Amino acid sequence: MECSPNWTTPGGEDQRGTPLVRIDHNISSERRLTTLAILLVDMPPKKKAGGPVEVSAASKGVASKKVQSQQEHSSEGNDPVPDTKRKRAKATPANIQPTNSKSDDGFSALLEPFYGGKSLTDPINTAQDKWNLLPAFLKVKGLVKQHIDSFNFFVDHEIKEIVKANKRVTSDVDKYTDIHIGNPERLDYDDRKPQNEITPNECRLRDMTYAAPIRVDVKYVRGKSIVARKGINIGRLPIMLRSSKCRLAGKNDRQMAHMNECALDPGGYFIVNGTEKVILVQEQLSKNRVIVETDQKKGIVSASVTSSTHERKSKSYVMLKKERITLQHNILQEPIPIVIILKAMGIQSDHEMLLLVAGTDSTYQDEFSVNFEESSKLGVFSQHQALEYIGNRVKMGGRNKTQGAPQRRNPVGDGLEALANIIITHVPVVGLDFRPKALYICFMVRRVLMAMHDPKLVDDRDYVGNKRLELAGQLLSLLFEDLFKKFNSDLKMNIDKVLKKPNRTMEFDAFHHMQSHGNYITLGMNRAISTGNWSLKRFKMERAGVTHVLSRLSYISALGMMTRISSQFEKTRKVSGPRALQPSQFGMLCPSDTPEGEACGLVKNLALMTHITTNDEEEPVRKLVFVLGAEDIVSMSGKEIYEVGAYVIFLNGTPLALTSQPKSFLNAFRRFRRLGRVSAFVSIYINHHTNAVHIATDEGRICRPLIIVENQKSKVTAHYLESLRKGSMDFDDFLYRGLIEYVDVNEENDSNIALYEAEINENSTHLEIEPFTILGAVAGLIPYPHHNQSPRNTYQCAMGKQAIGAIAYNQFSRIDTLLYLMVYPQQPMCKTRTIELIHYDKLPAGQNATVAVMSYSGYDIEDALVLNKASCDRGFGRCQVLRKYSTQLRKYPNRSQDRIGDRLLDERGQPIAKHAVLGHDGLALVGEQISSGQVYISKEVPLNTASTGIGSDYGTNEHKPAPMSYRLPDPSYIDKIMVSQTENESRVIKVQTRQTRRPELGDKFSSRHGQKGVVGIIVNQEDMPFADTGVTPDIIMNPHGFPSRMTVGKMLELLSGKAGVLNGTLEYGTAFGGSKVDDMGDILIKNGFSYSGKDFVTSGITGESLPAYIFFGPIYYQKLKHMVQDKMHSRSRGPRAILTRQPTEGRSRDGGLRLGEMERDCLIAYGASQLLLERLMLSSDAHEVDICETCGLMGYQGWCQTCKSTRGVTRMTMPYAAKLLVQEMLSMNVLVRLRLEDEFPHPS
Amino acid sequence: MSREAYTVPTTAPNLGRDQSFSSEGPAVNYLCGDCNSKVALKKGDPIRCKECGHRVLYKERTKRMVQFEAR
Repeated sequence: MECSPNWTTPGGEDQRGTPLVRIDHNISSERRLTTLAILLVDMPPKKKAGGPVEVSAASKGVASKKVQSQQEHSSEGNDPVPDTKRKRAKATPANIQPTNSKSDDGFSALLEPFYGGKSLTDPINTAQDKWNLLPAFLKVKGLVKQHIDSFNFFVDHEIKEIVKANKRVTSDVDKYTDIHIGNPERLDYDDRKPQNEITPNECRLRDMTYAAPIRVDVKYVRGKSIVARKGINIGRLPIMLRSSKCRLAGKNDRQMAHMNECALDPGGYFIVNGTEKVILVQEQLSKNRVIVETDQKKGIVSASVTSSTHERKSKSYVMLKKERITLQHNILQEPIPIVIILKAMGIQSDHEMLLLVAGTDSTYQDEFSVNFEESSKLGVFSQHQALEYIGNRVKMGGRNKTQGAPQRRNPVGDGLEALANIIITHVPVVGLDFRPKALYICFMVRRVLMAMHDPKLVDDRDYVGNKRLELAGQLLSLLFEDLFKKFNSDLKMNIDKVLKKPNRTMEFDAFHHMQSHGNYITLGMNRAISTGNWSLKRFKMERAGVTHVLSRLSYISALGMMTRISSQFEKTRKVSGPRALQPSQFGMLCPSDTPEGEACGLVKNLALMTHITTNDEEEPVRKLVFVLGAEDIVSMSGKEIYEVGAYVIFLNGTPLALTSQPKSFLNAFRRFRRLGRVSAFVSIYINHHTNAVHIATDEGRICRPLIIVENQKSKVTAHYLESLRKGSMDFDDFLYRGLIEYVDVNEENDSNIALYEAEINENSTHLEIEPFTILGAVAGLIPYPHHNQSPRNTYQCAMGKQAIGAIAYNQFSRIDTLLYLMVYPQQPMCKTRTIELIHYDKLPAGQNATVAVMSYSGYDIEDALVLNKASCDRGFGRCQVLRKYSTQLRKYPNRSQDRIGDRLLDERGQPIAKHAVLGHDGLALVGEQISSGQVYISKEVPLNTASTGIGSDYGTNEHKPAPMSYRLPDPSYIDKIMVSQTENESRVIKVQTRQTRRPELGDKFSSRHGQKGVVGIIVNQEDMPFADTGVTPDIIMNPHGFPSRMTVGKMLELLSGKAGVLNGTLEYGTAFGGSKVDDMGDILIKNGFSYSGKDFVTSGITGESLPAYIFFGPIYYQKLKHMVQDKMHSRSRGPRAILTRQPTEGRSRDGGLRLGEMERDCLIAYGASQLLLERLMLSSDAHEVDICETCGLMGYQGWCQTCKSTRGVTRMTMPYAAKLLVQEMLSMNVLVRLRLEDEFPHPS
Repeated sequence: MSREAYTVPTTAPNLGRDQSFSSEGPAVNYLCGDCNSKVALKKGDPIRCKECGHRVLYKERTKRMVQFEAR
């Protein structure tokens, strides 16, 4: 990395000339345009070096962009034409917004990620510039829009629905109370005095919860009048950062900085008790959809559906077993023949039933007709009989028992109840009209019959279209509903208690009761989010590990966490299906980013452009279906339904209507959607196997935007891209104009998507926006990933999260438990579009090291690296480790409390050595070095915390010291000491320590291609090989790392990086694109280098030239968090565990190194008995015991208590753990006698 | 009368020590996390900036000389 100046110096001055020359040559158009722009602008050379930075990103956060875009809109009309100096149209809004930090010199506007360095006058090539839609998309949506959208939906809509559904609390004792709960609203964030608002960072620092009050409007009866109260606080809801209710929403960079918040932080997490918590995206099988599966071995075909409504969640099966079809459900004691079920639902005639299930198809009819026998054998002929049959088999839950019903109700009622409300609940039965539900079951039966006939017609559980993703908003809404119901029932109980009293002292006011248990919702929410245990009594849902602490190891690790999807599958099962890469996850889920090991393939990551739908209303869609000429299915007979060419329209899995022209219906529906008449996230597709048109409006579907193609032409034309560039259109405008649409997995599978514009043919329906969006944010860091062997990209995805770099803009104002920071991070020379989009170039984690690929010294075998000592001196790989040590000064119920003691002085009046760094206040001095054993907080705790102070029970007033002392072997500096108060007024002290580390032997480094290595040797610069320009490498890497790993991308990165260094540009290694090798070669040649990237190199030791040309150039290297200093450990003597008296375990306890079972086996096999004895006993827990030879029990001091004599007592050494075992067994009434023998018996 | 007799708690040593050592010890300077003004606190003082009421305070850097090994 030090060499970048070296690289540039040779061509330093005449660089201004290079672009001129370069134009003559054939360079990829994108790059040529860059240079053109530079020429037009006639930038000074210094700026030109920053020119390529050009494409780096907006210095503004995602949310602030939103505001900006709005302002752009409003000011569109009077916006003057940008002056020629502006390279990008995006520069204009900076002028409009004077408060924005970007506006000062317009320089950061030049850094906007748009348009790859094109000026306004440059021609637009739709084939290449359509990727501009991607930054536009991210601008509107943000990086973790899924979480934020979901939370916003919950807060704005869902919570209102919940309250509406539970709005009435009626006391069953008196007609007095009658409470309506109106709209919840939240306004401000904290109820504390002078500032009512609180920043997220203050919450982090003070261990508080970032939450907003939930306010309700109520109306109730007091006395004889109806009282309305507004804005009653019923609890506090943790607020997702950057959501619409968050203080950060719509703030610009400057405002964010003022709040000590990072503008690039993605948001989407919660702060509960000072820790950042993420609710991971949960993957589930979709609800309310039929899944048909077969079990080949048992010959079972089953169609199952998980019905889920607000009240109930249950699973129903239609099973075909031994040619009999039955319906199964938890509430039913046994599977019930399907004919009986259908009969009970009012399909009286067998003929009608046959038609509804099988249509006129004789094969299906034959399969099904067996089932009629079943029911007649059971003597069920009428609906009444059928209901009775079912009612007798309904399990009686606790519901009826609690009401104290002495005997069961009549079976017919039970059967009706079960059918109407419990089995397949999501199909509502209105006024006992069972027809829709009966039809639903008929379709399930039909699917079973079809699957039996053609085994191909089963559903794939792993198909992404059959999956739904559950987000923070949904999980919170479940939780809130549960808590709110409990709150209401508690309220009712309290009111009842008062109203039951015959005469009350004062007029009854329900309002006081609402106030009395206001904490319930708050505590419930906080507990769930901070522990991750989602336990909902209604659904018997008991889920642990829903939330995780946001990993702040690096910017990328935080970002990677926000896009992570965890699956509900158990990790131990040995099925490959759920773990395998699904073709249907193309463009939706990242193919590279998954962990290795047990969670491989189960934990996934979202791709760059995915969107997860929120719930849309069904009603308008239902109306539209009928408007488009489909006929209601309820009135149809089986004959019509299964007619050739008739397609059933399903809305969210429920049959709704019938059409004979599915294709034109579909097209018309899509046209309406593109017009914006129905939500853009409603999807429609045809399934020709089952003759069905499926419309989905439910939440949790994964979808992504695609360009619409009509008449073999992309709807996005140069004209529109120009408007986008000018800023007169944004991504949503593209959506509204019907140029782009969101397509979910099912619909994607039903369309023909052209990858590039040139590939559009007569069948194409869509055009991909940009191919590199199939990768996620983390995999997007890899340059030229399409040239790498795929597992290498996966390895890099894991390692990119461990890289040390910049965490956030506010990294120094936040105090994290453990924070690794790189001292001089650099943005990569070879970047990708994704890097710019996620702003990795602003918060990089690594440095551009000049790498020589050669063998050196033999300390580079097995991926070890040779480091240049001078580079380390100049700061290569230097990092800081910041640690937090925090404590709370507790208050005890008896009014005693923890306190900070003073430092102790020795006889000379100086503080004792342990207290050397303490100040007058008992806290360490900021800036001092602290080494092992020294105290940084001299805390004292009261000896007596139990006394009540009543009567003479005072207890002592003494405190005993409980100092917090520094434990690490290596010294640190006290970086910062923060004192504050938490919400419950107890004092919190956080001490941050800092260590600065330079690379040392054994530290782990990695390039961006899954090529990790440890430092093998650090070599003086004079001993390093040097190129003919005098450049020495920062890192020497052994060439054996290449052949087997096949990371060609790394070589290309070197080549592009080298060309970029020589040229003064940053090159691109974007997936499926990027700078071309030929162009890079040309640049190298032009600068007097070999096109291959190989240099002539001279040995620094002998001065001889090396017999081969060396592949030489910059590669971006990441320093990983695994450092020797944190792991180095040795012990000769040390602490022992109390119980076993064996050495303790682990570095933190100064533990011993274990000679394990396998090592023991080796020693046994070798016969090294004395070594074993020494390792396992003498150096561990040798113990002298007195053993009585006569009775075989242990005595003491030469005396056997059992025999009451000293005669047979012998002294011997044995492991303490063995002695312990003997005694423990004795305590359990197992007598262990030790029999002694001479090892070397006397010959006698 | 009975009220008179029940004076024990008041004569009992004040278990909550907050009052007793608020005056004791020299004041140490802290910096406000919001307005960056100096706040001199003694032991037991409530943690609060006197200017703006902000509740996050940072301890001031030591006046002692600190020598770093520049490596």
